Amino acid sequence: MITGKVVSKADGTPVPSASVTLKGSSSGTSSNVDGIFSIRAKPGDVIQISGVGIKMQEFTVGSGSSLIAEIETDAKVMSEVVVTALGIRKESKRIGYSIQEVKGADLVKAREPNPVNGLVGKVAGLTVAPSAELLGTPSLILRGSDPRRGQVPLFVVDGVPISSDTYNFAPDDIESYSILKGPSASALYGYRGQNGAIIINTKKGSKDKRGFSVEFNSSTMIDDGFLAIPKVQDEYGPGDHGKYSFVDGRGGGLNDGDYDVWGPKFEGQLIPQYDSPVDPVTGARQGTPWVARGKNNLERFIKSGLLMVNSIAVSSSSEKSDLRFSATHNYQEGIVPNTKLSTMNFNMGNTFRLTPKLTFESNVNFSRQYTENFPDVVYGPNSIIYNITIWGGADWDVMDPGIRGIWQPGKEGVQSLYAEYQRYHNPWLMVEKWPRGHFKNDVYGYASLKYKISPSFELMGRSAITTFNVFRSEKMPFSAHPYGREEGKGDYREDKRDLFENNTDLLLTYTNNGKITKGLDIRASAGGNVRTFRYASTFATTDYLNVPEVYNFSNSRNPVKVYNFNSQMQVLSWYGFADISYKNYVNLSVTGRWDKLSTLPSGNNLYFYPSASLSSVLSEYIKLPEVISFLKLRASIANVKGGLTSPTRGPAAYPIGYGTPYVTAYDGPTYENVAAYTTPLVYNNQPAAYYSNTLNNPSLKAFSRTNYEAGIDIRFLGNRLGLDVTYFQYKDGPGIFQRDVSQATGYIKEIVNGIETVRKGWEVSVNGTVIKPKQRTGFSWDVMFNWSTYEEELTAIYPGVSSLNSNFFIGDNRGDRLINIGDRVDAIYGASFAKTEDGQLINDGGGRPIVLPRGQMLGYANPDWVWAINNKFGYKNFSLSFQFDGRVGGSLVNYIQRQTFRGGRHAETVQGAMGEARLQDYNGVKSWDGPGVQIASGSLQYDPVTGQITNLKDVTFKDNETKQFLQDWISRYYAAEEANIVSKTFSKLREVIIGYTFPSSMLGKSFIKGASVSLVGRNLLYFSNVKDVDLDQYPGFAAYSTLQTPTTRRYGINLNFTF
Amino acid sequence: MKHNKILISIIVILFLGSCQDFEELEKDPNRPTSVTPGLVLNGVLNDMTERAWNNTQRWNQFNCCNYNYYGTQEYNWTSATLYYTTLKNVVKMEEEAVSGGAKALNPYAALGKFLRAYFYYRMTMIVGDLPQEEALQGLQELTPEYDTQKQIFGKILNWLDTANTDIAALISSGDNTLSGDFYYNNDLRKWQKAVNSFKLRVLVQLSKKETDADLNIKAKFAEVLSNKSKYPLFDSNLDNLQYVYNNQFNKYPINPDNFGFDATRYNYSSTYLNRLSALKDPRVFIMAEPAGEKLKSGLTPTSYEAFVGADPNQDLGDMSSKAGIDNGAGYLPGKYSFFNRKRFYSTYTAENTIQIGYPELCFNIAEGIHRGWATGNAEEWYVKGIQASHRFYGLKEGDNDVYFFKAGGSPTNSADYNKYTIQFNWEQYYAQAGVKYETGSAGLDKILLQKYLAFFQNSGWEAYFNYRRTGIPSFSENGPGTGNSGKIPKRFQYPSSELTTNSENLTEALTRQFGGKDDINLDMWVIK
Repeated sequence: MITGKVVSKADGTPVPSASVTLKGSSSGTSSNVDGIFSIRAKPGDVIQISGVGIKMQEFTVGSGSSLIAEIETDAKVMSEVVVTALGIRKESKRIGYSIQEVKGADLVKAREPNPVNGLVGKVAGLTVAPSAELLGTPSLILRGSDPRRGQVPLFVVDGVPISSDTYNFAPDDIESYSILKGPSASALYGYRGQNGAIIINTKKGSKDKRGFSVEFNSSTMIDDGFLAIPKVQDEYGPGDHGKYSFVDGRGGGLNDGDYDVWGPKFEGQLIPQYDSPVDPVTGARQGTPWVARGKNNLERFIKSGLLMVNSIAVSSSSEKSDLRFSATHNYQEGIVPNTKLSTMNFNMGNTFRLTPKLTFESNVNFSRQYTENFPDVVYGPNSIIYNITIWGGADWDVMDPGIRGIWQPGKEGVQSLYAEYQRYHNPWLMVEKWPRGHFKNDVYGYASLKYKISPSFELMGRSAITTFNVFRSEKMPFSAHPYGREEGKGDYREDKRDLFENNTDLLLTYTNNGKITKGLDIRASAGGNVRTFRYASTFATTDYLNVPEVYNFSNSRNPVKVYNFNSQMQVLSWYGFADISYKNYVNLSVTGRWDKLSTLPSGNNLYFYPSASLSSVLSEYIKLPEVISFLKLRASIANVKGGLTSPTRGPAAYPIGYGTPYVTAYDGPTYENVAAYTTPLVYNNQPAAYYSNTLNNPSLKAFSRTNYEAGIDIRFLGNRLGLDVTYFQYKDGPGIFQRDVSQATGYIKEIVNGIETVRKGWEVSVNGTVIKPKQRTGFSWDVMFNWSTYEEELTAIYPGVSSLNSNFFIGDNRGDRLINIGDRVDAIYGASFAKTEDGQLINDGGGRPIVLPRGQMLGYANPDWVWAINNKFGYKNFSLSFQFDGRVGGSLVNYIQRQTFRGGRHAETVQGAMGEARLQDYNGVKSWDGPGVQIASGSLQYDPVTGQITNLKDVTFKDNETKQFLQDWISRYYAAEEANIVSKTFSKLREVIIGYTFPSSMLGKSFIKGASVSLVGRNLLYFSNVKDVDLDQYPGFAAYSTLQTPTTRRYGINLNFTF
Repeated sequence: MKHNKILISIIVILFLGSCQDFEELEKDPNRPTSVTPGLVLNGVLNDMTERAWNNTQRWNQFNCCNYNYYGTQEYNWTSATLYYTTLKNVVKMEEEAVSGGAKALNPYAALGKFLRAYFYYRMTMIVGDLPQEEALQGLQELTPEYDTQKQIFGKILNWLDTANTDIAALISSGDNTLSGDFYYNNDLRKWQKAVNSFKLRVLVQLSKKETDADLNIKAKFAEVLSNKSKYPLFDSNLDNLQYVYNNQFNKYPINPDNFGFDATRYNYSSTYLNRLSALKDPRVFIMAEPAGEKLKSGLTPTSYEAFVGADPNQDLGDMSSKAGIDNGAGYLPGKYSFFNRKRFYSTYTAENTIQIGYPELCFNIAEGIHRGWATGNAEEWYVKGIQASHRFYGLKEGDNDVYFFKAGGSPTNSADYNKYTIQFNWEQYYAQAGVKYETGSAGLDKILLQKYLAFFQNSGWEAYFNYRRTGIPSFSENGPGTGNSGKIPKRFQYPSSELTTNSENLTEALTRQFGGKDDINLDMWVIK
């Protein structure tokens, strides 16, 4: 009996499923997933190795009992071992569910500040909506999941779940990503895997024949050139109905505080302004010429952004060990001045083969994010966009020395200089004197010991931790006055969080190790997991300051407000799984898991859920037309259960609620099924108690999600063209939800098991080699195309309940309508206009559109489909790749449009008919004739439930005769969601990489072993009808746009050296 | 294999050792499940507070918003805000008192009855029938039946009687266990007065049912007036149930912080201000600023004609541009009177907000006597009411200093106000034909008008309820600014959640009241 290993000649990776036969005999076996095989043979025998993509090769058995067979392979076939849940390597052809792998090397050239952003378009069914904000996290949508409802994928590193903010790993350390799209793939992770998983497989050791290598990678990129920025007018300044005059900027003058931009036209007329001279005798402010000094303030304020990433990795491999250490520094400067972010990442991975039976493996990752200042963008006076774009006029110049100097002379640290003092801020005050710091340490790692008890049995013990602590601070200067802080006396706040989680696993695995009996190949494991979780957070804030610029809690004018939130949780799990193959015909995988979860009520906190998947490679046993080189069918079903946990968590409290509350990864208890009091400080800073308005439920059960999927993987023309199609269906529910109860019970909600939805979708991936690399021309062309679609429908709610409020799934919706069983869950309901039968707007006596008393359905939020196409060309040592991707369909209420119109800032308010009317507004003449009709006789009656007009036939109409000021019409019209609904269709030229790899002949015998240089670009073009916001940031269920920093193009250079 | 066994044992021990008590882990360590009743009372009283300058006061037609972005005067009412969750806290408060060792008769139980009466009154007055007998039982009754408005009023009057008796008993037993009461600093004597004063409000609002034998309103009214020791009532503004603002934590809704947002975006309504100035009532100088345009046209700041409110039914665009016209240097903008800067914008505690007040009590007594429900002197109470309201605004006989803002000043800078001294003479004021009490319906109208003027920015919906019941003073409607097809509605719709959670009972209640339609323009029982 000899044992052997089949490896690729090219890179030493194991070759699975190679057919191994003894020449001249009928006995045979095949190599397992690690390339290992055993066969009865004696020295001198000849072994033949063959398989798909492997040319038959012969090896003669030597004198030892082992053999390494290095074979030549077709790389396309060799890529088909993928890493699945728990870090188990499987051949993709044996997998009965959809999994897609992305090579880490593909993502380190044209970089994103956030490593996960690089996955956009790379996987069918995975939507990555990158955030344009510094420290912003991308929204990840797998198969139509809804992050707002806590449906986020799990991050896993080398088989171990981690707590991730998507920043705590370095792209350079990643060998590959495996995207487990559905719960079938990730059932082994328990309920945390229900929304799929993003598995990160780190690089291990060195493949260099010397046994060590040093790799250096450097990227420098610039952000410049706007993709999407609100178009604003600079012809009229701040004010109301054409009137403005500055006295104190706090309402003392004519519309000089908290103004809209509906003021006088810039005509050089004399108007008292913030910097106009004041008569020392009378104290009256003189008029100075009213001109657009601040055209394009935002564009002039914003600077180019910068992204610099440097990483170095040292690795070595020997017979006994694989070692790798890396350090990565990621430095980013935002396009908003004085904002930046650094991330340091250290990673160390070891594998020690202590004895032939005992293997030790560990990986530790430390990352630190740090920034003294990053911007806040959310709607409000803390946002640059709010201040400059929406509500700021062109009457002041952002580069004016006075404005640039921030403070009023003699009032340094106390009073800023600006054109307005009630609501808005000098942008330089915001970026230079109002810093928001963020410091996060993040550590995760594991150590595992594998012991081979016998050739068939292996025991693994593994313990993993994931932990972070974060410190956030905000120093708000005097004269800053965001929402709720109108006294403008400064503040200091801190947000601290500490999370610790341990996962300890014990797993016994049996493999028959290539000893196929009766055609069965079996691998089975059983084990247990203990997950222990602890979290503690505090939020503290001053309530105004005594002394300016001293940011310490002891400097609080009113008593300091301090809050904390602590939680603990434990999950005990027993699980098992088995992969069984019968000859080449069929592969069956089953999993089962029991969880005991501490968040659920005792009695219902222990539950079981199974999964099963089946696949068969038809092409291995059925004679197919020659054009088909590979055909696999697969199907799977999986169930997951869990409950009363949340994947993310905000601050312990948010007592002074302006700005964006920071959300961190959590995955701990919500305690929402605990009936208790809240005890806020209400009157005169004294506590009051309020009992929960939600009825708790001691018999609550775990939620359930079941996934069905089926797929086909077909390849043509000798694998040159591959098509992978998946149909999936989630049957969600009964879930856990808070159902409405009659308020007359004293409660508003009851926590129950209910809500069932069905989400169905398709995913298509096409891989094609248009031109094979040929020695003669040196030219190659590969194409990758991904496409996906899904739709989710409400199928059940709760016994006796047939409808939900229209804001149940989309929280920003108007909730005064009902959605019923059978409806799509992503319908947008918003304020809508009364219309005649032929669709004309019905106006009131003032000539403005009448808004119906209840919201109406305006569209669906989810896209019709999502697509990406990637082309890769190679010519000798040059390569060129570029990717277009985008989404088609879906609706969005464009909040930027709404606010820029209502604020008088939208560029269209000075164009065409609106422009003429606006000039008349300024002259004091009502000239705007709004479209539609007015009521001639009768009056409208509305259905009390739907808000729709019930008596259109009894009402007669006439043309709208009432002329009015444009400002007043816009204020009504654009306040309604219906006026601001836009299509979310867009596409982007996402990335372009032009690469050159220095040939080894050029490097010669120098110490440099490999070198490549790439010119890269990201987000170079943006195609959409909506140009004031970047639609890329509003995927899936996002139905209402927020403010966003204008998005920009990014381009630069990437260098890669191996020593 | 020996090593293996040791290894396995160690790991198994680690597993077991790390197991924690699951029942402990299920509990929320951050929130209490039991508290003292005083904490709950504090929460209930906070819920009870109705502030000044909110939408309700605009629908009372005291003031207008001229800035579309902030709001309108439109009456496009939809679902009502109900207070069952607060009533649930009343129940919890009573439970916490008993579980904390209190006797069955305790101050929380006694106040609990008053609070039930108070909140049910407020709820039924804006919608009609409501669940009461079967309400507040949580899971025990998830679909409570609706009681008729008449039944609810019967219950309210019973609760008020019991609350009065219970509080009297607690006072005589010297009970001092109440805490958490920021209104009366735990003084049960004051609460007893509030209970009975509120009872008179309820009885007066039932005036259309004065002949109803079951409710027996007239006799109940007379009984209260005839037995002052059994039914103590407010004796002066000092007894008012009123919300007192403070500088740091509970600022008056309009104050120096929001001067720049609000001072010119809200103006007076003609329904209120023009009536006040027509009566040459000096409260106008304390409440308002003279309209800039009137001063520019030559009127003196202390002439009543200079005080003008905007008609709330007008098109908002018109009001907005009229409120914003430039009157040039030295004059405030606009054609309308704004809120007096000195009174409302120079501090954080402009005035207390009355919830149940002495001036209203006087007018309620005057109305009851005028209607013949009890014997007494209606004019005496009418005069007391006006004078109590005058006192609330600090108006005194003789010289009164009033302050108007200098255009372009800062509201917190006392130098930015012009001071004027005005003369007030009660006899002269009262002698006016529009003020002097008379018998007959004209006299009742005067009582109702003065009651309305005294309700300015206080007592929640009372001004509207009185208008709805009596039509006095007539509210402005039928314009583009009114909304709701030009009509002032009579009620709010039921919460839309009732439709999905309790629809059978809701349908029954709608059928018996409004022909099955949840229509805001139909009359409920109490005003039929």
